[in-house]
Amino acid sequence: MNVIEIKELTRNYGNDRGVFDVSFSVKEGEVFGFLGPNGAGKTTTIRHLMGFLKPQKGSCTIAGRDCWKESARIQEQLGYIPGEMEFFSDMTGQEFLIFLEKYRGIKANGRKNELLERFELDAKGKLKKMSKGMKQKVGIVAAFMHDPQVLILDEPTSGLDPLMQNRFINLILEEKKRDKTILMSSHMFEEVERTCHRVCIIKNGRLAAVDSVDALKATQVRKYIITLDSPDSAVAFAKEELRETVVSGSSVTVGIKGDIKDLIAVMARYPVTNIKTPGQSLEEVFMQYYGGDK
Amino acid sequence: MFSPILFKQGMKESWRLLFIFGAVLAMYFIIIIYMFDPKLSHVFDEYAKAMPQMMSMFGMKSTSGSLIEFLASYLYGFIIPVLPMVFAILCANRLIARHVDRGSMSYLLSAPVKRVSVAVTQAMVLVTGIVLLVAFSTVLGIVTSEFLFKGDLDKEGFIMINIGALSMLLFIAGICFICSCIFSDAKKAAALGAGIPSLMYIIQMLANAGEKFEDLKYATFFTLFDPDGIIKEDTFAYVQIVILFAGALLLFAAAVIVFRKKDLHI
Repeated sequence: MNVIEIKELTRNYGNDRGVFDVSFSVKEGEVFGFLGPNGAGKTTTIRHLMGFLKPQKGSCTIAGRDCWKESARIQEQLGYIPGEMEFFSDMTGQEFLIFLEKYRGIKANGRKNELLERFELDAKGKLKKMSKGMKQKVGIVAAFMHDPQVLILDEPTSGLDPLMQNRFINLILEEKKRDKTILMSSHMFEEVERTCHRVCIIKNGRLAAVDSVDALKATQVRKYIITLDSPDSAVAFAKEELRETVVSGSSVTVGIKGDIKDLIAVMARYPVTNIKTPGQSLEEVFMQYYGGDK
Repeated sequence: MFSPILFKQGMKESWRLLFIFGAVLAMYFIIIIYMFDPKLSHVFDEYAKAMPQMMSMFGMKSTSGSLIEFLASYLYGFIIPVLPMVFAILCANRLIARHVDRGSMSYLLSAPVKRVSVAVTQAMVLVTGIVLLVAFSTVLGIVTSEFLFKGDLDKEGFIMINIGALSMLLFIAGICFICSCIFSDAKKAAALGAGIPSLMYIIQMLANAGEKFEDLKYATFFTLFDPDGIIKEDTFAYVQIVILFAGALLLFAAAVIVFRKKDLHI
């Protein structure tokens, strides 16, 4: 069953900005990655799902309810992390979370304390004095504390350090096991690779592709930067039978799809001093997959 | 239609502002009432005679001598419209436009609370603030007058003047609130929410100042609040109060509808 359903959603801001004819759906229990460069229309799409914007054309529904007309009902079972964390000015983190519990009408300390512990968050300080990472943690607790069935997360790990990013990924994996439906936008391949079933990419307001993460991984060209002892060996190394090699100084960048046995065999014959695998953005992966500018 | 928790939060944030405005009002009321002298000619009346235009611009004119006329002229011509008006401007902007501009509105709407409820609740916070300020002024005026000039104040008339003032201030608050709901940019909302009532007040000042501009009084809603007419128990002055209350209700209702239908980029 489709829980989140977007059909031919259009909002034209002029100058080719906005979203145009976007359609996709997220099934019950599915974790869905929503990718795209800045300004591509991710947040605009999410605002429609939240009922903040009325579609100019098309429709959005969550659990069969219209996102514009029945947003208050939908919110009962929805958790949301906004792309920009902005809070009420004068509250402490603790006061804000207690306010939200009462405002939502849920019982106090449902999951709140467990989440605060999980993210090692001491929310006693004033919100406006908190660092970006701490604000983000407050936002995460606020989105999960009422244990919603559907989660809409706009760049949920921005501002978190790697340890906390990891804890967040684990939280998503646990929620995934509990059959929650999750739509999350992200920039980081690892995050999406570890959590999502399917991914879609949006570019210039138009849906470029929807595919499963496994299909993506199978075709992914991984990059390795191999540093050798001298520029000469680098040039020699680049002439070996490997795909896509680029030399710069004494290092060679190699692109390999799938099995890296051949690369290891070649490396064994050269004076390799270092090997690095640069982190790839999902966008890059997608662009490789779909051949550049599609 | 109403969220008690949000209302409580709004009032919590209003207290400091209410306290400051209450304190300033108290200071003015006590000083001005203290200056009233039933036997001798009043200091203000001297001014009013010396520079009638200047004083009448602020709604202050030479009075015949009763305490209620004195209060109507020297407190309800300038201090009462202006101080609560500033409160309404600040409060209305904070309640809606600032949340939308900063994005914190997203937290109020990503909960099972309807937009209409959020707008109605925030409007109630503003209305409550205005009602508290006017109620405080009423009590302050009566208590101070009784303390200093026992039995001199026509209390019924004074209460009616305050009801009139309340109708006008709620109308002003309605203008501020609808501006806060229309504009997603807090600065624009503040500029119009403050600009329209201020302009109206300036027109009123000009209309008060002299014959040449007298017709300008038809261009400002401040004319609808007529303390002299209320003292004289003029029916038309009462009708004008009803018009202001109805106008205020319409403005707030329109503001809620605007907020319900608007696109929020939060």
